[in-house]
Amino acid sequence: MFQYDFMQHAFIAGTLIAVMCGVIGVFIIARSLSFIAHTISHIGFAGAAFAAFAGIDPLIGLLAFTILGSLGVGQMGVRMFRRDASISVILSLALGLGILFLSLGNVQGNYSRTLLFGSVVGIDLQDIWQIVAITLLVLLALATGYRWLKFDSFDQVGAQAAGLPIRWISICFLLLMAVAVSVTVQIVGALLVFALMTVPAAAARFYTQSIFGMILLSSLIAMLSVWFGLVAGYYTNAPVSFFIVAFDAASYFLGMAFRTVMERRSAVRVE
Amino acid sequence: MLRQIQISDLQVSFNGEEILKDLSFGVSAGEMFAIIGPNGAGKSTLLKSILGLIRPQHGKITMNSEGKKVVVGYVPQSRVIDEETPISARDFVSLGQISGFFPWPSMRERKILKEIMIFTDTDRFANKPVGKLSGGERQRVFLAQALVRHPDLLLLDESTANLDPNAQAQMMDLVKKAVKEWGVTVIFICHDLQLVRKYADHILLMSRGYYKTGNEQTILDDHDLLKAVYQTVTSGNEESRTGGSVSAGLSLSASQR
Repeated sequence: MFQYDFMQHAFIAGTLIAVMCGVIGVFIIARSLSFIAHTISHIGFAGAAFAAFAGIDPLIGLLAFTILGSLGVGQMGVRMFRRDASISVILSLALGLGILFLSLGNVQGNYSRTLLFGSVVGIDLQDIWQIVAITLLVLLALATGYRWLKFDSFDQVGAQAAGLPIRWISICFLLLMAVAVSVTVQIVGALLVFALMTVPAAAARFYTQSIFGMILLSSLIAMLSVWFGLVAGYYTNAPVSFFIVAFDAASYFLGMAFRTVMERRSAVRVE
Repeated sequence: MLRQIQISDLQVSFNGEEILKDLSFGVSAGEMFAIIGPNGAGKSTLLKSILGLIRPQHGKITMNSEGKKVVVGYVPQSRVIDEETPISARDFVSLGQISGFFPWPSMRERKILKEIMIFTDTDRFANKPVGKLSGGERQRVFLAQALVRHPDLLLLDESTANLDPNAQAQMMDLVKKAVKEWGVTVIFICHDLQLVRKYADHILLMSRGYYKTGNEQTILDDHDLLKAVYQTVTSGNEESRTGGSVSAGLSLSASQR
């Protein structure tokens, strides 16, 4: 399997993206931004479709649209965007725009499918360098603002009282999320970014009570899911994304069962 | 080191309604200063103004600290804790350690965290998720988070309101201990006048534009004053329901102002 360049590239890119998604996912979950992440990935889809229509690099279209989308969310307030109706409207509009640009650009069906469902095996060396640069940028930014972001994500009242600039933290985080979404869309597609960014983090919460532990575990689950997806996809010829999502979902339900068992045990001990 | 807090002619309005009007008082360093009064008197608004979360339309809040930045700790009545993201009491307290450069805590920060958790007796349940703690334990965790930054000023917004008498006393004893050991200045809002009598050095009584500062004797032992303030609210509410004037029920003499 590893004698093929495309598989080597897929493993390198997939691992980097999984680690990034695992880390950022913990904060997405803590800040209740799962559906906003989902919406931004659809805005990214419209951006990539626009790039195809305009004949530019898809990453530029993705970044431009997701960053503008995030700034819009930040400007109008995250609270408004948590409403179901607002999310539905923007999500549908982004999908509609994507379809319009694909149609105007007379883009082939293969490209649309890649945008929506990803193509982890179509990554070349240039893509890898892009992914390395963007992943390092996102991880470095998260590490730099870690303490403030952690405080604001897990205890906004305390963070505000401590004088932290919570509005700026929110906007900066949305921008980082936009960048992370843009690079992840290329691998797992607009429809499944949601899964890689939120499910491992959501599963990690069931196993540990430490924030750092959640970050480590979330990254590990995301990484294992990507590796499992690549190996299973290689041997079965079925879509890699399916295996990634299936692994993440299994870790989530296992985690749920694990917590239930642990809670029952501690309840019995108390009795 | 915080020397004194001076509030001068403070005025705060929301949507045209005056919440605080010409409020002036001072708080000395290292004292426990209680704010009492009926609901709607503007007590929380005052605390949020001191905290910098609300910008007053008029007046000044001066903190004399010899040019150094004043660190303010805040413990609210309650906090929304996401049960689905169960972080441990230790992690919750350590959230307050925001000044370090590296993402991980330094040895000194670890030592401070341990000391504060022992001080607040939260080390016993350090690994337990905050969402699974009792009301009293949670409030001690919130207090520990505020103390971990070594605040000069600690603001408690009805932080004992939902606790049983035993837990209330435990919490306030801890606050008193912090005042004695570290010289923290405390401003606390409290509806329980017994607690105020036991712990406050000075008291501010607030009621719809009426303010009086004093001590146990001049405020808490003045039963006519307390009766007037608290009955005013009751009668005022009744009058406002029938379209009458709220201020009409206030029967405090001008000398009390």
